[in-house]
Amino acid sequence: MRTRNLVRRALCALALAAGSGVALPALAAENLSMWVRASGANAAQRLTDLWNSGHADKITLTVIPDNQVVSKLANGVGAGNVPDLISFDLIYMPDFMRAGFLTDITDAMKGDPNFGKVAKAFAELASYKGRLYGTGFTPDVSILIYNKDLFRKAGLDPNQPPRTLAQIHEYAKKIRALGPDTYGFYFSGACPGCNIFTTSPMMVASGAKMLPAAAGDEPLAGTGVKEVLQLFRDMWTEGLIPKSAQADNGANFVANFKSGKIGIQGAGGFLIADLKKEAPGMDFGVGFLPGTKEGQASAFVGGDVVAIPKGSKHAALALQFIKWELSDEAQLEGLAKNNILPSRADLADNKYFQAEPRVVTTAKALGIGYVPWVFHFNDMVNSDASPWIQMIQGAVFDGKVDASIAKAKARMREIAAE
Amino acid sequence: MRHSHRRHAGLLYVLPALLFVAAFVAWPLLQLLRLSMTSASMLGPGSFVGWNNYLKAFRDETFWQSLAFTLQYTACITPILMVGGFLLALLVAEPGRIARATRGIVFLPVVIGLGSSSILWVGLLDEQVGLVGRLLVDLGLVAHPPVWFVDAELGMWAVIGTVVWKVIGFGMLLFVAGIQSVGIDVREAAMLDGAGYWQRVRHITLPLMTRTLLLTTLVSVIGSLLAFDQFYIMTAGGPRSETFTSVYWIYQNSFIYFKQGYGAALSMILLAIVLVLSSVHLLIARRGAPA
Repeated sequence: MRTRNLVRRALCALALAAGSGVALPALAAENLSMWVRASGANAAQRLTDLWNSGHADKITLTVIPDNQVVSKLANGVGAGNVPDLISFDLIYMPDFMRAGFLTDITDAMKGDPNFGKVAKAFAELASYKGRLYGTGFTPDVSILIYNKDLFRKAGLDPNQPPRTLAQIHEYAKKIRALGPDTYGFYFSGACPGCNIFTTSPMMVASGAKMLPAAAGDEPLAGTGVKEVLQLFRDMWTEGLIPKSAQADNGANFVANFKSGKIGIQGAGGFLIADLKKEAPGMDFGVGFLPGTKEGQASAFVGGDVVAIPKGSKHAALALQFIKWELSDEAQLEGLAKNNILPSRADLADNKYFQAEPRVVTTAKALGIGYVPWVFHFNDMVNSDASPWIQMIQGAVFDGKVDASIAKAKARMREIAAE
Repeated sequence: MRHSHRRHAGLLYVLPALLFVAAFVAWPLLQLLRLSMTSASMLGPGSFVGWNNYLKAFRDETFWQSLAFTLQYTACITPILMVGGFLLALLVAEPGRIARATRGIVFLPVVIGLGSSSILWVGLLDEQVGLVGRLLVDLGLVAHPPVWFVDAELGMWAVIGTVVWKVIGFGMLLFVAGIQSVGIDVREAAMLDGAGYWQRVRHITLPLMTRTLLLTTLVSVIGSLLAFDQFYIMTAGGPRSETFTSVYWIYQNSFIYFKQGYGAALSMILLAIVLVLSSVHLLIARRGAPA
């Protein structure tokens, strides 16, 4: 009875206030929490700063070390204590969706005009059983990078990156001939992550299908896998690749290229800013990672996705942020303005990248890129004992190309069936 | 009655220590045991699977290979650390400015984290950009800079070299304390009896610091059996998974494959192995040590 009176009084007060034109105090602004993995923290900070500057509801970022994101989220979901938003390595998306860690945002995003413009790889990866659980946030993508100074010395056109696997081989030979300390090609032979990022796109470009999405799917299907491994094997036996590549677990993924003694290698878009800062005298170019035939190209779409963990206390506001981060304002003023790739493919060529065409090429690579939709990505690829890296080492360094592919296929099937 | 009262008082005295051990050793251990009997993953709680994880571990070739590699690494590095640390201690045990300075210099790497020192050595040992290879070439010892981590054996010795550089100062310091604890009167008596320097070291210093030697060996052996950082950073388990240590393989399963239940079972097995080896070591020590 007393409650009913209170409600009646409040309604009267509202009516009076509305009638008299008195401004009512705004609803209290909310404080949203967001977890971001350390390697994506810089880009996330730029975006949240921009959001905070224009919205009453504020977002507070908490940076989580990369290798702790999975355990933190799992424990948080279990304990009912999760952030309102989370940004993490996109490759964990299938595992998180299946584990039920994330909120279904399908209906809310269906009509969003910007969502359809996000790089296709993100939309595919964030879908599970026809439902959507997240979207692209701060991407990175693999590209081919080459040393224009060495190209000139070797008599190659510095404005033409290799456009086929055969051209990589041919150009690498010419660059190797420049001197005993100069090598045509480089890759980190003991780094599974580096190779899925830079080597697998050449296989995909050549028509291969990499990892099994379901237990019955065939892994490493298509001739592209063998063609790329054979190319690497040939370049290895011909001495076009430095011997240290065999033991490089990623520690020197880009260090050798920075020394100016490497002609061509796969890398990530991040290297452009790195090289400009750390090797300002080097003239380098970028291109797409090619396949066997001219016109074939691909890339691995890496970086972070953004999602709403199940149990978020401000899910509606979190959804607003997700929609906002796909807007022109967020993509251009929050990301592109700070030399960070936008996740929307249609904004690859924007006013901020005009002065740096190499970044435009990188942003365009997002549009042709792929990312494997797979459970147990770490078991299959990312771990130091994965069948993926065992295959590369067995094929390139031991010369057992067919046997290594067969062994990796068998092990990947076993993992997919777990 | 009085006797019982005294016993209760004694219990009260040890109660804080007992509580500490119960809370921080026994309880976590029980939790680990419980976890090891589940299919728990980072992505879900899992269910009770009994001894299945242990049975799986016995069939896990990489685990036993990693254990064999860990034992090999321990067997190789321990004598180097012990003999090297003792010889260094003999050099710097006597008072003097140069001895003190040398002690400080040798001990300096001990204060660097093992992770940091491993990263430092990865760069120094790199064939393309590292200084060590260049130095060896300039000295005429090799024609080309070696690629250290391309071969499991060579990689292990490279890691051993860097770990010895990093930790030998700690053993040296313990040995210095042991040497200095030997009474000057005993050493002088031996000198008066005509014993030379190495005779005094062999027949006086070494027997009187047996406990220090055994303690240092035990600490070193346990540290080596639990080796992780240096291999994680320098070899990444390669080439072809040949340099995985036991702890590294446990880490792979628990945090990379998310298989926490299985990782817990591997941890329990490793714990049992370390416990048995340490007990054997202590038994030998007790028999061999002077009364």
